[in-house]
Amino acid sequence: MDKRNEHLRVCVVIPAYNESSIIGDVIAKIVKVFKNTPYSTEIVVVNDASKDRTGDIARKHGATVIDHVLNSGAGGATATGLSYAEQKRFDIAATMDADGQHSAESVLRGVIEIIKRDDDLLIGSRMIDKKGMSKTKIIGNRGLSFITYVIFGISSTDSQSGLRIFSHRALQELRWKTSGYEFCSEMLWRAKQQNLKIGEFPIEAIYTEYSKSKGQNNWNGINIVKSLLRRRIAELLG
Amino acid sequence: MSRYLLLLTLTLPFILMSVLSAITKYKLGHSTKNRLVTQLILWSLVFIGLASAESIYNWLFQNNLTQTEPLSLFDVIQITAIVIVFYIANRSLSKIEVLEKRVQDLHQELSIRLSAKK
Repeated sequence: MDKRNEHLRVCVVIPAYNESSIIGDVIAKIVKVFKNTPYSTEIVVVNDASKDRTGDIARKHGATVIDHVLNSGAGGATATGLSYAEQKRFDIAATMDADGQHSAESVLRGVIEIIKRDDDLLIGSRMIDKKGMSKTKIIGNRGLSFITYVIFGISSTDSQSGLRIFSHRALQELRWKTSGYEFCSEMLWRAKQQNLKIGEFPIEAIYTEYSKSKGQNNWNGINIVKSLLRRRIAELLG
Repeated sequence: MSRYLLLLTLTLPFILMSVLSAITKYKLGHSTKNRLVTQLILWSLVFIGLASAESIYNWLFQNNLTQTEPLSLFDVIQITAIVIVFYIANRSLSKIEVLEKRVQDLHQELSIRLSAKK
C-alpha cells in the first residue's frame, strides 16, 4: 500500500439473501466501528434477489444496495460486490457474512492487518481461535480445507470463511466461476494462479441461533466438493 | 479398404479439428497451458488407440487374450459415433463455460447499473 492511511478508501461488501431481521444491525455496527477511523468507508449490500425487505432495510441504514435481478448464490453476490468496489477504485475491500457471524471489529482488524502485511488476500480464520465453534462445524471446516488442499494444493486453516480482505491488486485480478458457497475454495485457487499473496488472521465467529440456522451445514459440504471437482475437471477439459 | 483404415479415416477429421481448436484457443489466449496439454494428451490417446487397433487386436488374438471377432462394419460405425459424440460433448462443455461466464458478467453489470439509477 503506497497510499497514506487517511486516504485509503475501504468498501465493505455484504452479500445478503433474506436477512431483513439482522442486516440493519450488521450495517449499524460497521458504521459505528469505522466512524472513528481514518478510512473513507462505503458499505455495499448485494441483495441477492431476497424475498423479504433486506434491500429496503439496508438502504434505510445508509448502505449502497445492489439488487440482483436473479438469485445467484453467495459466490455470485460476492463477485458483484467486489466488481463494484473495483469499478469505484476502492483501495481495499472486505467481505463479511450478513448473518451477524462476523464482528465489525474483526473487519477493521483485517483492514489494518492487510495494510501492515502487504498481503493481497487476507482470510479471517475462525480455526485459529476456535472459541464458540461446535465440533460439527470444526470437522466440516477442517474437512473442506483438507479437500481444498487436495484438489487445488492450497493450504488454509479456514478455506470457507466469508470474512476476507482484498487489496486493490486482488480486486483487479481475482475472478472466479462458481457462484455457490464453493467460491470460497475456488477464490483461493484463482488467487494462487494469479500469484497473489494470501494471508490469514484470527477472528472470532459469533454463533447465535440465527447465524447457526443461516450458515452452511456439513451436508452442503458434499455439494461443495462435487462442484469443486467438476470445476477442476472442466478447467482441464474445456 | 481395410476396416481399421476406414475407422481411422472417418474419425481422423474430428481428432484433427479438436487438436487444432485446442491449439488455436491457447494461442489466442482463451485457454491455459494446462488445458492445452490435457486436450493434446486426450486426443493423442484416442488417435493412438484407433491407429493401433489392428495391431492390438492381432496381438491379443495371437496370445489367446481375446476370442472376439475382428472389426465389423457395424463396429466401425459405432466407434465413429462414439468419437463424434465425445467431440461434440467436449465442444459443448467449453461453449457452456463461456456462456455461463458471459451470463454471470451480464447479470453482475446489469445489477450494478440498475442499482446506480435508483
